[in-house]
Amino acid sequence: MTSSTATDAEKSNEHPVKKIVIRRLPPTLTREQFLDIVSPLPDYDYFYFCNADPTLGQNAFSRAYFCFKNNQDVLNFRDRFDNYVFLDSKSNEYPALVEYAPYQRRFKLDPKNPPKKDSK
Amino acid sequence: PPDNKQVEKKAPCPLHEYVKKILYKELNKLCVERVLRQMRKLDWHDQHVKSMAIQCLTSASNVRYNSIHCLANLVSGLALYYEDIGIQIVDAVIEDIRLGLEINLAKFNQRRVSMVKYLAELYNYRMVESSIIFKTLYTLITFGVSYDLNELIANADTCADPLDNYFRIRLVCTLLDTCGQYFDRGSTKKKLDCYLIYFQRYYMFKKEFGQSVDIARPYDRFDIEFVFTDIISSLRPEFKFANTYEQACEQVSKMEGEIRDSIVQ
Repeated sequence: MTSSTATDAEKSNEHPVKKIVIRRLPPTLTREQFLDIVSPLPDYDYFYFCNADPTLGQNAFSRAYFCFKNNQDVLNFRDRFDNYVFLDSKSNEYPALVEYAPYQRRFKLDPKNPPKKDSK
Repeated sequence: PPDNKQVEKKAPCPLHEYVKKILYKELNKLCVERVLRQMRKLDWHDQHVKSMAIQCLTSASNVRYNSIHCLANLVSGLALYYEDIGIQIVDAVIEDIRLGLEINLAKFNQRRVSMVKYLAELYNYRMVESSIIFKTLYTLITFGVSYDLNELIANADTCADPLDNYFRIRLVCTLLDTCGQYFDRGSTKKKLDCYLIYFQRYYMFKKEFGQSVDIARPYDRFDIEFVFTDIISSLRPEFKFANTYEQACEQVSKMEGEIRDSIVQ
């Protein structure tokens, strides 16, 4: 029974869930500020925010990765934030890019098989 | 004198200094195990430590070029215990390669070579699949690339891949030199065969038309020619080199035709 509902859920979501990345965010942006700006967010099961790499100087950007549970949300998110202009504290403009992430693997905690605990 | 405040230097964080020391100064193939044990002891649940360590593990250009494979080895060891760290590092490496294409500044050239080599080593240590390598290979010869001479000359200052810039060829060769030997059977072999034909077209276009604008560094061209022929003849000794750009285009359309036929059947 459970297996059949799982396949139904998969069918309604024809393509497997994709990891997307929003790039070229202001380097001074923090995770909390970013979440403030983009909320309300649709349901997601994966998110992480990367601070900019300061060694790139003026070419440093922050970025964030998402997996939305519903594929339609990906399109809506892209329509909202692709080319959306983020501002940093000095009001410099940073048009963001929304793309599918080239590397699709994502980390998911599996409650049945927790990852090996590091004994160190 | 101007009343400028002196910029206060931040006191170095001891942990950060330590990580830098073990990764960038001490890491070599004899002590990977020991460095791995030290890295595992970091407090990976502390967000601040985690992002610092991920950034250090991503900056392959700080490691000696010949030790980059040790860094990849280290990351694959860490990923056994902390899967998400491996994923975040791979994401960061791919992003760095892409950003390098977008900004295309000569001062980052060495960094870009190191990053590409690092990605290839991550493949050798099974952190990424071959599809990522091929995606990167194709990005390197397609991102912002144009085969339209007039357009290239008109937008010489703004385009992402100027006609006289041979650097991407070096990046492709570095990548192939590091992991190309493993694409020797099955579907990855076929994929590489196709790729090399496209790569040759990209190279021949630069070789033929780059000369007209390339005055500043005439030796780059010869240098890159050796790199190009070396790597292809070591990977595919039977490869038929085209003599002109036109021949290279013919090879591409011939291959595309064959593939189209095989799909129709």
